[in-house]
Amino acid sequence: MSGNTSPIFGNLNWNVTPYTDLLQHVDSSTIVGAGAASVLVFGAIAGVALFTYMRWWGPLYRIWLTSPDAKKIGIMYIALALVMLARGIIEGFVMRAHQATALGTLAQPEAGLVAPDHFSQLFSTHGTIMIFFVAMPLLIGLINFVLPQQLGARDMAFPVLNQVSLGLTAAGAALIMISLLVGQFGTGGWTMYPPYTGIDFSPGEGVDYWLWAILISGMGSTLTGMNFAVTIFKERAPGMHFMRMPLFCWTSLCVAIMLVYAMPALTVSSAMLALDRYAGFHFFTNAAGGNMMNYANIFWMFGHPEVYILILPAFGVFSEISSTFSGKRLYGYTSLVIASMSIAVISFTVWLHHFFTMGQSAGVNIAFGIATMIIGIPTGVKIYDWMATMWRGRVRITTPIVYLTGFFLLFVIGGLSGIILANPSIDYQVHNSTFLVAHFHNVIIPGVLYGMLAGIHYWFPKAFGFRLSETWGRRTAYLFVGGFIFTFMPLYVLGMMGFPRRSPTFQNPEFLPWMYVAAFGGVLMMCALASLMWTFWTSYRNRTALAVPGGDPWNGSTLEWSSPAPVPEWTFPQIPQIQARGDWGEAKRAGDPWKGPERYTDIEMPANTAHGLLIAGAAFALGFAMVWHIWWLAILSFLAIPGMIALRGMRVITPKIIPAAEVEEADRRFRQQVASLASATRADEETERNRGVPDLSEFAG
Amino acid sequence: MIKPNTGELDPQESAASEIKSYTTGFIASLLLTVGGFAAALSDLPTTWKVVLICVAALLQIITHMRNFLHLSFSGGQSREDLLLVLFSAILLTIMAGGTWYIMSDLSGRMHQTMDSVASAQSQPHSR
Ligand code: HEM
Ligand SMILES: [Cu+2]
Repeated sequence: MSGNTSPIFGNLNWNVTPYTDLLQHVDSSTIVGAGAASVLVFGAIAGVALFTYMRWWGPLYRIWLTSPDAKKIGIMYIALALVMLARGIIEGFVMRAHQATALGTLAQPEAGLVAPDHFSQLFSTHGTIMIFFVAMPLLIGLINFVLPQQLGARDMAFPVLNQVSLGLTAAGAALIMISLLVGQFGTGGWTMYPPYTGIDFSPGEGVDYWLWAILISGMGSTLTGMNFAVTIFKERAPGMHFMRMPLFCWTSLCVAIMLVYAMPALTVSSAMLALDRYAGFHFFTNAAGGNMMNYANIFWMFGHPEVYILILPAFGVFSEISSTFSGKRLYGYTSLVIASMSIAVISFTVWLHHFFTMGQSAGVNIAFGIATMIIGIPTGVKIYDWMATMWRGRVRITTPIVYLTGFFLLFVIGGLSGIILANPSIDYQVHNSTFLVAHFHNVIIPGVLYGMLAGIHYWFPKAFGFRLSETWGRRTAYLFVGGFIFTFMPLYVLGMMGFPRRSPTFQNPEFLPWMYVAAFGGVLMMCALASLMWTFWTSYRNRTALAVPGGDPWNGSTLEWSSPAPVPEWTFPQIPQIQARGDWGEAKRAGDPWKGPERYTDIEMPANTAHGLLIAGAAFALGFAMVWHIWWLAILSFLAIPGMIALRGMRVITPKIIPAAEVEEADRRFRQQVASLASATRADEETERNRGVPDLSEFAG
Repeated sequence: MIKPNTGELDPQESAASEIKSYTTGFIASLLLTVGGFAAALSDLPTTWKVVLICVAALLQIITHMRNFLHLSFSGGQSREDLLLVLFSAILLTIMAGGTWYIMSDLSGRMHQTMDSVASAQSQPHSR
């Protein structure tokens, strides 16, 4: 490989695209590969053409890409996640379609839509994308959008750092995307265990794509964690004591702490693997004193906290919506806080359950097995709290509540199969089978995906000023619930029958009926994806009918519902004085909540900057250059990053000042509008009469 | 020094004492680093070297926390910060201790004692 590295282009040449594979050999696998690359190419061309035709480049750059506003950054994170979600679900569907056609015979073991190596790339990219570029950006985006508003802050503690984090995440995602077209992705699964992923067994660029995507985006997530933590510690509005924070803020705090302590472990394990691959180190090799078990150890030291990083924001969302849509106060606030905090700490003590079967003695396994079972307790407490919140409430079956119900039913099953797996002797029976695949999708989809989609539906009006269509929202939710059941319940059965995960083929015809059921589930999941996209589109077209300028469409009790929808850049005309938990709800009880401030002052906001964009560009160049051994570019971009940081550090940066008159004008207009709008009752919530001004007499939260 | 949560300057603390604290910290860190190198280069027995380096490292951590990060047991804000640091220490102990627990158990079962590592290095194709 390194023998013919060109000094300018590194290992790049014309033979690395899937089209060359297609020319050499035409079969369903190369067609799928070239098809995927073409979707990327045509998608990019169509996107560029659309933006040019609509003259969107200027606004995109000025309003979005250079904005340090946490709300905009949050929305961009979510947009990135939705694009990656589309790719992830399509890949999941291709894998299901493949396995439904993969019945081979003993004489001719290989069968199915795609070649085995291609299948391995599929589950590796699918897993990597879903965890790092769908789930993480979804939750980081949602926290970015909601957290400052709920705390009564105007922005994050470090707005430009926030921009840099987004840029690094996007650079990682771009590396994964470009691997569709240029070269191949790794085949070691989303965990990329050595020694298989060491240079001896995986010489090509595939593992390097994973490494650099993870190293770059992981850095972004660590910085995000610090940003969230400092924001919560230092930027709360006066009077917002810790025990007055909404639950979503509490779970965000847990997430922040866990990001700060867990992400470095991933960076360390990936950096060690990179040293093995690039510099001839022997951390994880078979020979020369390497020990590959330490990779599993360090990786899962990150990996287990990671799954709670993913789920805790969803728990926060469910706490908010269960209370709002039942018109009741959240049951057991303190117990929910304690449970979240316990989860955050205990989740650092269980990582070994991901490698029960990798050779340590029974005593070690038992210690971690017990810790794993203990962590089920706080989660159970939470489920009871939400049920008690809804108990005897006037529950409206809105889209978030459909997701919540799906979560109740399905997440409990997934949690239960997790407790089963926590027993090492049972784990020995089903590990590495599709039982495990069923288990983790069973917690991730009803937990993370439903939670985040519910959150998006709930806060969408705050971001864009109009509600999402309830009809299509509910249809999407039902499709995701049904699709989940059909896709993954059969995998429990298949796992018990002994079907190993990550199998490109199988020879036992008894597996086939279950494969068909799962493939049908895959079709439903594709429909759910289409329906999700349609929800956004159809709501956008009906935006005048769905508009909620009053800003409080669900009769909520937390601070973010006090501002107009869409929320202005400065969020609050004046930083609020917090009197109680659920401050907005208390204001409603006290009478007229929409009182304006007496005096308006100039508001100082961080100025727009291209800093994050530039750093993202350099980080992408660095990753791409390292993958393809283009050393000059790697050195250049590696030096560019500290250079840009130093340059910015030396410049005097003037913040943007929003004059008091402008704030006053906008705020007065909002308050007049609220006064002129007719208030909507609970029964009218889904109709055009809901203009974002709820009937205060009905408020009971 | 800046008062916590306000951005206002704390009048009680003058710039001079600030600088003094930083200088003390800097010199102490420098000495401790040099000390570590000196220990490594000296001809003391290996155990002594390791012990000395570890002690110097620990002392340097404490110096950084005291003089640069302004942690102490007194005062509301520093106390809050100290609690955060202790929390970090617990997590790091869990991670380091857990790794030690797991990896020593594994290496026993992989017959990876220090001898076998040494012999594997001297004869690469021993298996
Ligand atoms: C929405 C529909 C989805 C479908 C149809 C789907 C399908 C699949 C399939 C077929 C596999 C390979 C199973 C095997 O190894 O035998 C897989 C693996 C995986 N999926 Fe999904 N999945 C979906 C959603 C998700 C989501 C939302 C996430 C996480 C946020 C996720 C995370 C993963 C991970 C981490 C793996 C393991 C990859 C590996 O083996 O390294 N999936 N999925
Ligand atoms: Cu785990």
